[in-house]
Amino acid sequence: MNPGRLLVLALVAFVMLLYISPYGYMMLTSFKPAEDALAIPPHILPRQFSLDSYSRFAKDAEVPRSFLNSFIVAMMSTTLAVSLALPAAWAISRYGSWPGRFFLLVALVTRMIPYIAIAIPFFALMRSFRLTDTWLAVALAHVTISLPLAIWLLAGFLEAIPSELEDAARVDGCSRAAALLRVIVPVAAGGIVVTAIFCFLASWNEFLYALLLTSVEAKTAPIVIAQFKSQYSLDWGSMTAVGTLYSLPVIIFSLFMQRRIVAGMTMGAVKG
Amino acid sequence: MSRSDRRYVLLLLAPATVFLAVFVAWPLLNLFRDSFYEVGLMTPGERSFVGLENFQRALTSSRVGGAALRTLAYTGIVLTAEFTLGFGVALLFNSLGRRSELLRTIFLFPLMIPPIVAGLLWRFLLIDNFGIVNHILRQLGLLASTSDIAWLGDRDIVLFSVALPDIWLTTSFVTLVLYTGLQNIPASLLEAARIDGAGALQLFRYVTLPLLRPVIAVVLFIRGIDAARAFDIIWVQTEGGPRFASEVLSMHIYRNMIRYGDVGFASAIAVLFLLAMLALSLLAFFSIWRPQALRGDA
Amino acid sequence: MKSVLLLLIVLLLVTGPAALAQDEPVTLRVLVEGGGISLQLAAAELFEEQTGHTVEFVEVPYPSVFEQLAAEMATGGSAFDVATIDVVWIPAFADFAEPLDALVTDEVAADIFPALLADGLWNGSYVGMPTWANAEVIYYRKDLWEDPDEQAAFMAEYGYELAPPTTWQEFTDMAVFFTRDSDGDGAIDLYGTDVKGAPPGADVEWMVHVLQAGSPGVVLGADGSIIVDNDAHLAGLEFYVSHHCDLGITPANPLEIGWAEGENLFFQGVTAMTRFWGHAYRLQQFDLSGGLVGAPYIGPEAVANVGVAPMIAGEAGIGSIPGPWFNIVPKSSENKEAAMAFVQFMYDQNVLGVQEPLGLSARISAFEQFAGEENYESLTALIATLNGPQTIGRPLVPNWQQVNDEVVVPMVQDALGCEVSPADALAWARGELEAMGFE
Repeated sequence: MNPGRLLVLALVAFVMLLYISPYGYMMLTSFKPAEDALAIPPHILPRQFSLDSYSRFAKDAEVPRSFLNSFIVAMMSTTLAVSLALPAAWAISRYGSWPGRFFLLVALVTRMIPYIAIAIPFFALMRSFRLTDTWLAVALAHVTISLPLAIWLLAGFLEAIPSELEDAARVDGCSRAAALLRVIVPVAAGGIVVTAIFCFLASWNEFLYALLLTSVEAKTAPIVIAQFKSQYSLDWGSMTAVGTLYSLPVIIFSLFMQRRIVAGMTMGAVKG
Repeated sequence: MSRSDRRYVLLLLAPATVFLAVFVAWPLLNLFRDSFYEVGLMTPGERSFVGLENFQRALTSSRVGGAALRTLAYTGIVLTAEFTLGFGVALLFNSLGRRSELLRTIFLFPLMIPPIVAGLLWRFLLIDNFGIVNHILRQLGLLASTSDIAWLGDRDIVLFSVALPDIWLTTSFVTLVLYTGLQNIPASLLEAARIDGAGALQLFRYVTLPLLRPVIAVVLFIRGIDAARAFDIIWVQTEGGPRFASEVLSMHIYRNMIRYGDVGFASAIAVLFLLAMLALSLLAFFSIWRPQALRGDA
Repeated sequence: MKSVLLLLIVLLLVTGPAALAQDEPVTLRVLVEGGGISLQLAAAELFEEQTGHTVEFVEVPYPSVFEQLAAEMATGGSAFDVATIDVVWIPAFADFAEPLDALVTDEVAADIFPALLADGLWNGSYVGMPTWANAEVIYYRKDLWEDPDEQAAFMAEYGYELAPPTTWQEFTDMAVFFTRDSDGDGAIDLYGTDVKGAPPGADVEWMVHVLQAGSPGVVLGADGSIIVDNDAHLAGLEFYVSHHCDLGITPANPLEIGWAEGENLFFQGVTAMTRFWGHAYRLQQFDLSGGLVGAPYIGPEAVANVGVAPMIAGEAGIGSIPGPWFNIVPKSSENKEAAMAFVQFMYDQNVLGVQEPLGLSARISAFEQFAGEENYESLTALIATLNGPQTIGRPLVPNWQQVNDEVVVPMVQDALGCEVSPADALAWARGELEAMGFE
């Protein structure tokens, strides 16, 4: 390797280190004893390794339960968003007519709405369906966020599929719906998975809707994390511990899915 | 398109349409209606029609104007920083080629962190006395005292400070999209230009940049929309202070709608916000995408 | 015959509580804030045992108490049967809350701190029953105050004994005295006290001095008139701001310091005194699992160095802003009878809250029962502060949140920026209040 390359590599490594250091510091803080987490002056490494902050996870049943809630809500909203987006995206990319174009625009406008402005009417809607504090209510709210994204991403992926594929399947006697399900979906599986990952992340990390729509049963983890800052105390240690635990599964998952995620971003971006 | 095709298209669009109509359009219609009324948060039944008064109030309010300017500034800061950093790192990755895979993976980390956690984390990093950032800067000899930079207390810089977690979370998105865009530029094209005697800078200016233009446009577009709506990530850091120096429009809407219960006024601001976003998007759409299509490549 | 009678009595005793309850056991949904939930847990368990009802606590972050309740009110009435709310939200929810006058008997009224009782009163009827009270008191470093060398040095410099401060002058003298560069590196490492410029904290703390200076209320008078620029407001704000702007005896960047930060600065040894809520002394002695002398945030040794004194007094005496929480029963509750019984029960068993790590109660008798006992040393200071002649609640106006966010906080931040004089800041506040329709 020539010196120029080495320099570039060193530079990138440095930028990278700087870039992930806030996360690293959060992780390190989570292993400090509680009195150290808020020490003045602060220190980077734990003076003493401690799992105190993680004890919250074991002691307080609300924490693991909120993780489960987050997971279920994210799965529900992802499933719903992808199954709603798939036919719409197919219509847009395969038939490209004005309703399709118009729909893309609508999806974009949806993304521009400040959620907080429609939170109360949405809450009212959920109440009239008697859905408040259920997984479904939060999942529906999260679909309003992820559906536009899913439509844009999927439309990009499906555009890459030659329309002859559908025609061939139809010649073989498939109905249109069957052609979509049996021929197109398997071909586009990679793109669908990527879309699903992004929908999942949007839901997993969402705070505002979850805060308003849940109280006990369906409370998701971001709410519980925010609760560590209460009127009477700031439990920074527990907050970092639960924050670390909460992001860990998706980080590990992303290690395996890295290539697909990157592909997904590009597809969506280039085709969109 | 045949008639059966058209019917099929509508059928495919129907489920998503129904969903958006019920769960987005309906609340949105409520918002539009409320913007013409004087109505309290907890007494939605007692409303009085006030015509355009809420809009007039919003357009003449210095608080709304200030928040609007800060929203623009915040979006500008976030976009500039993300794009500069993101593009720089993407170019570095690109020059490393396949070797950058591990680095790219690490770069994805912040994308997995909930914005609310990122906001709290950065507040903790930056705040005077407890914050590790000023502490390290002092140990490096860059600051005489840890109190020299009041990241979250100085009105002149707080808008930059509160943008940091947002930049941190999403620079990776910008980088990875641009990186893949760079990878998709056909090597033959670059090679041809090089044979024609183009230097590295010229190559970048006349080949890479024009080819990357659509990707750049989409990235800026998506991130711009998201940054302009930023709310909780800033709120947990400063609650918009000190003295509203970090208050953006979405916060002002939140304050008026929920905390002050002035739903009509808040709705009017939200409607104006949405209209402004639409107008700006159209502007961006025509100025970034169209000319490129008209000019071919530069 | 005697044994039959005895059997009857026993039977009555056993079935009595059940007979008192409604025929059908119900589930009560109670909205509480995450930090204060512990104060009612023990009593709620007892309530469940005795009545057969079930209590389901809905625990949310602080701002969500208001938001959840408001969202429910906005969409056809609250499904909560009881809500434990901060005093500042009383006016907003008063019209939606069941009057509790029947519960506030003379006997009850006599056992509740007067400032608290007044805060729950809306249009002539009690809409909230106080569940616990809190107030800012003075925390000081006992090890410094009891050090003979410090005492001698202080005596030599100021001519009176070093003891916990009771007046503005003493507070200032001691804060100046203890502000020092103890390791001689040219930077101050111990500050006398702190001031808060970030909410929450910036909004309330300066007000205690306004009251001490003799103002009949803060910002707005009892009749809703603007009093934000009266002499007491000016004196109080000048006193508060001078510690930062003129004397430099507080940590830099007050606009980044709110209550949580101020508390930590003190317990980490950066400040010698701080104004903070009365619960922290006891709370600091528990570890995260609720065991005694755990001192999760400072370590057990440091806890022994913490002293607590009543809030200081101005010309008009001791004054503080009470921070009580109230139980309200939303009119839309479908289990009103049981909800009322719950509120009554929480009052009856109020003393159980004092035994929790947070150690708070609304009843004078409950506080007095434990005052002076080990690990309860702070209660004496809290009682004295809550009974202070100038301890007065914030104005009960429905849009207080707006006054607070739009006028009070920016005004204090202006003044603590040291570029705007307290008089100008208060004049600005008057202008803003007038623009909001106050007179």
